[in-house]
Amino acid sequence: MAAFLNLTKPQQRGRKPEPMPVSQLGTACLVRGVLDTEGEVEIHGTFHGRINADCLILGAMGNVEGDIVAREVRIRGRLMGRVFALNVLLEETADVTGRIFHNTVTVARGARFEGRMPWRPPSYFEALDQLPETQP
Amino acid sequence: MTMFTRNDKDTAPAQAAPQPAKADTHQTAAAMAETKRPQAYAQPLNAASSATHAPSVSVISKALKITGQLESTEDIQIEGEVDGDVRAVSVVVGANAKVKGTVRGEQVQLSGQVDGKIEAKKVMLTRTARMSGDVVHQDITIESGAYIDGHCRPEYGKTEVKAPGLKTVSSGA
Repeated sequence: MAAFLNLTKPQQRGRKPEPMPVSQLGTACLVRGVLDTEGEVEIHGTFHGRINADCLILGAMGNVEGDIVAREVRIRGRLMGRVFALNVLLEETADVTGRIFHNTVTVARGARFEGRMPWRPPSYFEALDQLPETQP
Repeated sequence: MTMFTRNDKDTAPAQAAPQPAKADTHQTAAAMAETKRPQAYAQPLNAASSATHAPSVSVISKALKITGQLESTEDIQIEGEVDGDVRAVSVVVGANAKVKGTVRGEQVQLSGQVDGKIEAKKVMLTRTARMSGDVVHQDITIESGAYIDGHCRPEYGKTEVKAPGLKTVSSGA
């Protein structure tokens, strides 16, 4: 029975007491800088810089250059840079160049990925205050 | 011993199974060449995601903070915090929003706080607005209750204020 109790732990990690509002950057939007949120962000436009979020969705028209730090990341668009996330999902239309630091990753058939996907334990993401320097 | 003397009838149907596929190899090869990538598989999802999930309007919700530059050729609604310049056709700064920097646009509606400058053709300050800085406008509405600390100059378009949102962003592909 103890083993079953352990299985429920990963789900508790994902719970949020209240639903956070969803932010979105439209297709006509261009942002340079740092984006910080505790909630969910959808990016359909162009973003250069760093994103810190709980859940990030990069739309099919989206284009990000830079680092993404999140708990959950879904990619349908173009990304050049690094991802630090527990759960990463590359959908069919994804086009990613860079590194994906992940705990679980799903790559759909048709997605394009070039680079490395290093696995990290969940504790790595909890203690992620400063991003490591990596060679491109 | 009976184990090894069973008749092999069972294996016959298994061998027969792949044969129908061989009959139309010509057709399948042609189909394979036509769709190298699994398009039939990917297309319905593409169409659905681009049709339903590609809004041109941007919403910065209350839990979000942007440090840097924000530009759009469409509308932006800010409910969160922006530390930097904002430029769009129409900018709405919500009641609990904070912007530190210049807000440029054709139309700016302010209900929150701006610490910097507003440059817009049409400016509207609602009763909850808090504006610290200059306003360059052509047409201004100030509701009673709005707070302004700065100059209001009706000089939009007269001085060398750049027209907003002329840069194309979505060059994608």
